[in-house]
Amino acid sequence: MYHTLLNSPVSAETQMLLPTVETMVGVLYFGLFAISFDFISGYTGYLSFGHAVFYGTGAYTVILIANGKLPLLGPGTPFMLSLLVGGLIAIALAILVGLVSFRLSGVYFAMITLGFAQVFYVFVRGWDYVATNPRDGPAVGPSHAEGFQIGAPGIDQLSLSIGVLTGDEVALLGSTLSGTEVSYYMIGLVVLVCYFAMQRVIHSPFGRVMIAVRENEERAVAIGYNTYLYKLGAFAISGFFAAVAGGLFAGFKRSASPENSFYFLVTGDALLASIIGGFGTLAGSLYGHLFDETVREFLSKAGQGGGLLPYLRALLGQETLDATLVGETTIGGLIDLLLNGHASLYVGLVFVLFVLYVPDGLLGTLRARVGGTFADALPAKLWGDSE
Amino acid sequence: MILEALAEFLTLGELGGVIVNGLAKSALYVMIASGLTLIFGLMGVLNFAHGSLTMVGAYLGGLLMVVTVTGGTAPITRLGLFFIAIVVVFALLTVLGGAIETTIIRPLYDRPPIYQILLTFGLTLVIEEIVRIVLGIYDLQPLSDWQAALATKPQFLREPVALGPVSAGWLSLFQILLGTITVVSIWAFLTKTRYGLYIRAGSEDTEMASALGIDVRQVFTVVFALGIGLAGAAGTLLMWDPTWGASVPLAAETLLPAFIVVIVGGLGTFRGTVVAALVVGMADAVTTWWFQNVIEFTGLPELVLFLVLVVTLIVRPQGLFGVEEVGGH
Repeated sequence: MYHTLLNSPVSAETQMLLPTVETMVGVLYFGLFAISFDFISGYTGYLSFGHAVFYGTGAYTVILIANGKLPLLGPGTPFMLSLLVGGLIAIALAILVGLVSFRLSGVYFAMITLGFAQVFYVFVRGWDYVATNPRDGPAVGPSHAEGFQIGAPGIDQLSLSIGVLTGDEVALLGSTLSGTEVSYYMIGLVVLVCYFAMQRVIHSPFGRVMIAVRENEERAVAIGYNTYLYKLGAFAISGFFAAVAGGLFAGFKRSASPENSFYFLVTGDALLASIIGGFGTLAGSLYGHLFDETVREFLSKAGQGGGLLPYLRALLGQETLDATLVGETTIGGLIDLLLNGHASLYVGLVFVLFVLYVPDGLLGTLRARVGGTFADALPAKLWGDSE
Repeated sequence: MILEALAEFLTLGELGGVIVNGLAKSALYVMIASGLTLIFGLMGVLNFAHGSLTMVGAYLGGLLMVVTVTGGTAPITRLGLFFIAIVVVFALLTVLGGAIETTIIRPLYDRPPIYQILLTFGLTLVIEEIVRIVLGIYDLQPLSDWQAALATKPQFLREPVALGPVSAGWLSLFQILLGTITVVSIWAFLTKTRYGLYIRAGSEDTEMASALGIDVRQVFTVVFALGIGLAGAAGTLLMWDPTWGASVPLAAETLLPAFIVVIVGGLGTFRGTVVAALVVGMADAVTTWWFQNVIEFTGLPELVLFLVLVVTLIVRPQGLFGVEEVGGH
């Protein structure tokens, strides 16, 4: 699709407006992390501000297994199993953290989870077992040179490798999918399965209790639910999927650093995604992160997919760019100053506006407009109400 | 080896040095955290932009010093200019804080508290990028400390001073002095003035206070503005400290300790914040000594700060001096 558009007459506009495939892979796995964050924070109302610790756990587990640094599991362990192991470690961690943290609520809960996550962040940053330079984080070493495979473990025909350089290329219907595109679909598959699993939990009686906790915890207790156990369970599930997301991230990037896995601002990005997408809508978080990344790439040079800056440069031409505005400032200099790598400014502004004026987020607002989820509303609109 | 180190740690010289360092760190922490605790205590707003505004204060203070100080300025004049800079930065950021409160925080009071966290979080993104853009214009490195601002520090503040057997830095003593001034003036403001009475009444029961004829909205604006002003003043002080310095990451570096201090002390109690700052500052100084002399683990002081937070919340969830109801218990 992307390539078709790139070869079309609107190629310059496409390159400006749409994020690259590599960014889209990032949207998928980080979107899953944001969904798992929304699962606990949006549905039980307990803001898990240290959620990055699970993401980091998943990422580090995958890399450590690939480097043969985890006992019992050699470098040859299938990637799917590594994901699962990372998830299980995260569940154990979530239960340990949750046992203590769920005695608190409100701001205190957010702060104690933040505290735990930062303890792990500082610890991992200083622990030289995980990497030769723990501050920069580990990378997948030569003991695992081939790409990580997603699919049925052990059966080559049912698995495909992911990664920018190590991904499999697939010939399909006369066109070739590059390694990055294959990664996109394979990671997308895992994300989709995880999303459906979480969706299933939300719509089960267990999920109803989670929502009851958010709406009125005292009443849920009065009815007879042991909310402590439910919260702990939800936290463990959420931690599991956050670790899977982290594992996918590490599997695709083949390296991780404390700053992009364990740090509290990683949780902040997930928070951003869930708010823009719609808090307590699950799928909204993915769209929120998509929106976030699109805006970022559109407004900054950082993503190599183009964006507004190169487009404007090409469109305006050198003479316009060199024209002076005030004093020595040229138009080109001004554009450079405002657009080069300052996407956070605009994302922040959009975010503030969302909090102020669209508190339900993208998906939440749309759902409110059509009066229910799209799955319910669309058939009703097309074929008329059955009632 | 541990025992030997312990014996060395307990000698008068070393222990005294650690205590002075700890007091200096406590002074910094109390300055960073007091604005946060005032705002939270009254309004229930956990201000995530606090660190960013501290960072803005550091740059503004640095700017004032760099503009006014030349190589030949006498140390006393530099100190005088520094105090003027603190007052100016405090005033500027107070105005900024007032503007922020009236325009974007005010519409959110009737929403769940999480939205205020979110809003101020968005604000940090905006503030930091604006600072980066401005730094870009003047070709300053956003990630490293602003050396020109550090250079405006008078020479004697870089030198150690002997207090009996204890060797301490003049800078530490200077920080302790400023921290004490801050604590005393906030305490006096809260307990000795009519406005302080309004604030304490509002912290205890907002509805009752407004029923008694206090314009709570105005009090909110004033407290938010003053809290931001304090953040700025703290930033100006940090600008002269080589371990902090004016840089963009200063925002996150100060925000987390400020949270720790406020939570450990108990949300909304100024007394708790002061005590917690002492506890955290001392813990920081002690672990820093052990890290420098015995245990080779770079993150040790930072690790211990967060452990203090976690342990406090486990043992005493409402913080050292906190009241049960504040903060959603």
